Amino acid sequence: MLNGDLRRQIVNMVVAGNNGHIPSAFSIVDIVAHLYSQVLKVDFQKPDWEERDIFILSKGHGCLALYVNLHRHGFITDKDVEEFCTKGGILGEHPDVTKVPGIEASTGSLGHGFSYAVGIALGNRIKDRDNRVFVLIGDGESHEGTVWEAAHVARNYELGNLCLVVDWNESGMQLLPHDDLPAKWKAFGWNTVVIDGHSQDELKQAFDNICFESKGIPTVIVARTIKGKGVPFIEGHGMWHHRIPNTEEHAKIIEALT
Amino acid sequence: MSFKKVRQQFADSMLAVGQEDPDLVVMVGDISHGVLQPFAKAYPKRYYNIGILEPTMMSIGAGLARVGLFPVLHTIAPFLIERSFEQIKLDFCYHGLHGNIVTVGSAFDYSYLGCTHHCYNDFALLKTLENSQITYPATPIEFDTLFRQSYRNDALTVFRVPESQHGISFPSEEIQFGKGIKVADGSDITLVATGPQLRTALGARDILASRGWDAEILYIHTIRPLDEDLIISSVSKTRHVVVIEEHMRSGGLGDDVLRATRKLSDVSYASASIPDKFVRSYGSYDDHCEMLGLSPEGVVALVENEFSRPVRVSSK
Repeated sequence: MLNGDLRRQIVNMVVAGNNGHIPSAFSIVDIVAHLYSQVLKVDFQKPDWEERDIFILSKGHGCLALYVNLHRHGFITDKDVEEFCTKGGILGEHPDVTKVPGIEASTGSLGHGFSYAVGIALGNRIKDRDNRVFVLIGDGESHEGTVWEAAHVARNYELGNLCLVVDWNESGMQLLPHDDLPAKWKAFGWNTVVIDGHSQDELKQAFDNICFESKGIPTVIVARTIKGKGVPFIEGHGMWHHRIPNTEEHAKIIEALT
Repeated sequence: MSFKKVRQQFADSMLAVGQEDPDLVVMVGDISHGVLQPFAKAYPKRYYNIGILEPTMMSIGAGLARVGLFPVLHTIAPFLIERSFEQIKLDFCYHGLHGNIVTVGSAFDYSYLGCTHHCYNDFALLKTLENSQITYPATPIEFDTLFRQSYRNDALTVFRVPESQHGISFPSEEIQFGKGIKVADGSDITLVATGPQLRTALGARDILASRGWDAEILYIHTIRPLDEDLIISSVSKTRHVVVIEEHMRSGGLGDDVLRATRKLSDVSYASASIPDKFVRSYGSYDDHCEMLGLSPEGVVALVENEFSRPVRVSSK
């Protein structure tokens, strides 16, 4: 199991904090882990380092996947993790830039983070900086009109310093089923790459092949994912979206991830 | 009366400030694109007619602020303040980011265009947000002065640019962000005016004088932070206050004046403002003001309906 340790940590945090979206985090944890271990130029000792790459998790409810990676790379402490969703803790059910080192945007209301990332990418170009900007949205989030407004702007201003990842776990298709996301992104003029978002090889190939440049066509990686990936009985769409495992379920989930 | 439009001054100020400050970025939603051409041509890398997508423009502006730029976001008021309110709230204010919003179409300036282009609840909305500031510069020099004083501070600052002006050109040294201006001394009633309605207050003062009232006039160009000291000082003396504003009664400057004076005893208050209803009629800006009682005669009628005539003790 890829990133089984991170998945187990996510579940343990949810049980301890009695809050959290496990399947949404499992859907993206392999992508976020690859970004932090292989792609992003960041330094946990200098979270505000001016030359860092920026990663924005626009689908904020998947934040547990971000928290465990920030923990793995030293941005946040064991104590921060233990205090998930507790009074006085810095980690809540949505990421908060005002509290958490390494987090670049407070998200949760869908349809904000991508536009915000477009502004950062444009600003970096104005300031002649070569920082790269990565942003992850959900396919359900892609119902939001602002996603396509931002897509339009980024393509027209040729923000080649921007990479978007779409977590295509088909949440959105429960409501609006006729959804060909890659075709949409191609129609908006983006470099469009479709991969298996749980495959280390495909993640590596996709990110390694992006040609970042100050002015160029932006890239979107449409990552096919499975909500709840790794634990068969919570995979898919349904009651597990925001369910807290009881003691028995917790044990079964950990067993499935071990 | 200045013949230069405040919107033209906005464009002129962008050019002048943009020349001094390489971090000033102007982004518009296809409004004022013509008057901003000098800035656009001088600084093409810092000018964006981004498209008709105001909420996204707001988030993009916050992203610009995040990298240390000073964005100025501009289009018609309801599209920036009402439609994009969540982006203002979350992407600017919750993040604690600085920035500037310059709106045109103040209140019912687009009087013939109806509800879609009106915005007379902006003070109320913006005042709920931590880290927001609100100015209402109603002459060119007020815009230029207030913008220069505040555009680089740590807050999100909104400049509500009106189409009409009040007709008094205060010297720039009298215009201080966050400070009101005492325009006329008086002893028994305070008229607090904001925006072009200062003109109404001045007209009302003359009529009131003939009816036995000696009106003091305060002009408020910065709604937030409000110069409460000036208001308290005046109302402590006059004990009668009328707030004249092109804003809905709820959440307007009047509410702030009431709050500021709450500890004063025996104060009578009245509001010349927009009732908490939509303005549904067509007609000119002046027609709307007349209908809403935002005229010298309307304010005088309000005073006479709401307050008892002052009793004067003659001195020998």
